[in-house]
Amino acid sequence: MAILKVDNLYKSFGKTEVLRGVSFSMEEGEVLSIIGASGSGKTTLLRCINALETATSGKITIGQETFFDSSNPNLRTKASDRRWQLSCGLVFQSYNLFPQYTALENVMLAPKLLAKEREDFKENKKEILEEIYEHAVALLERVGLSDRLNNYPCELSGGQQQRVAIARALALSPKILFFDEPTSALDPLLTQEVLKVIRELAKSKTTMVIVTHEMKFARDVSDRIIYMEDGVIEADIPASELSENTNSKKLRAFLGNIEG
Amino acid sequence: MGINPTAGQIFKALLEGFWVNLEVFAVTLALAIPLGFIISFGSMSKFRPLRCWDKSDSQILRIISKFAPIKLVTRTFVWIIRGTPLMLQLFVVYYGPGLLFQTPFRSPMTAVLIAFVINYAAYFSEIFRGGIEGISKGQYEACQVLGMTKSQTFFKVVLMQVVKRTIPPMSNEIITLVKDTSLARVVSGVTEILHGAYNYTRMGLIWPLFSTGLFFLAFNGILTLLFGYIEKKLDYYKG
Repeated sequence: MAILKVDNLYKSFGKTEVLRGVSFSMEEGEVLSIIGASGSGKTTLLRCINALETATSGKITIGQETFFDSSNPNLRTKASDRRWQLSCGLVFQSYNLFPQYTALENVMLAPKLLAKEREDFKENKKEILEEIYEHAVALLERVGLSDRLNNYPCELSGGQQQRVAIARALALSPKILFFDEPTSALDPLLTQEVLKVIRELAKSKTTMVIVTHEMKFARDVSDRIIYMEDGVIEADIPASELSENTNSKKLRAFLGNIEG
Repeated sequence: MGINPTAGQIFKALLEGFWVNLEVFAVTLALAIPLGFIISFGSMSKFRPLRCWDKSDSQILRIISKFAPIKLVTRTFVWIIRGTPLMLQLFVVYYGPGLLFQTPFRSPMTAVLIAFVINYAAYFSEIFRGGIEGISKGQYEACQVLGMTKSQTFFKVVLMQVVKRTIPPMSNEIITLVKDTSLARVVSGVTEILHGAYNYTRMGLIWPLFSTGLFFLAFNGILTLLFGYIEKKLDYYKG
């Protein structure tokens, strides 16, 4: 049973077609990396799957539920969109932490707001908040920031901010965690500390989709690699086959260009 | 006031006059801030009832499809209010109903307050709009992917950042407001501080008029310290 299924996704901005029929699916616990040149549609694909953009046509299913189907526009409701958002977690290239909150508050904000909607919130308020707090502390510990709980984003390095962002995305226990070029704004040293966290997540079988330019990392951490060019998937291969000898001519050319 | 008022009596009269200025100030501030927020939402409104003609082949229909009534109305309103003198607005609000509809204002103070609230709400709305539009798209997207609702996004994430960004321009406007309250004297029956002090010049006394300046200076001094304190309080984070 696939955890994510994308069918024939198209997306245009005005007259520019960015996605031209993208289909793939992935299993629970799988780690998938999406590579390709800038402008190939990777980020747009991620944004469509995360409901930040509305695809022009196609179908998106996560777990058991189809959240987007252009042939059935009545499918989407406010409630289903909310479930859609909550089943995905997204880590942005530019972190997008909330500057007025500490690392811990950034991680706890969304779970707290969500908990208020629970019917038993009033009765068990103390326990629920305690649980959220402990979960948040544990997550920040997991990304190696237990000594930075009460620091504001402006007091953290880029790598630390991105790790807070990962903890924040994990706090809602999404079915799939997406990364949009998570290390593109970081220097090589900070990149490594973020990649280390992602590696740890992969080890613990977190379902992840990673848009990245780090080829070596993609090969190491992923089970599968999708190569995109001009809005279509040109290669969908096991990560171990990501080499200059791969079958796809276009992927070979891409790898040749970036390594040459 | 007596034939030869003592300095103490004059000072007391000035103080009573300044109390009127403070009333205008406080009510304007309390009402113009929420109204300013509402107007700023109006001028950012993306409501386009004819959006369906967006992709029409006819260029005229495409232009018509951009018609955004709420935004148009609020921006025109802001343009008129910011583009005309506050003194003119005071006259229009105070004399307008009486001359046009034979229903004059019973209370001159109400007319003054209405004119001030509308005027300052228009200015505030532009400051808030700048503050809200300056928040990066990434903040909204981060909220969205965390499943937060629009109102949670605004109140829990955006508002605090808008407050921080708008404190410097707002303190500027608020200090101007303190001084503008002296314009209330153009509506007869509102005896704010300058109105009273001006009457003493007819008795040959100039110092009461000069000393009104001290009241404004003192009050604005307090406000300056207060805003400095708030700015410092909000300095715990950047961005």
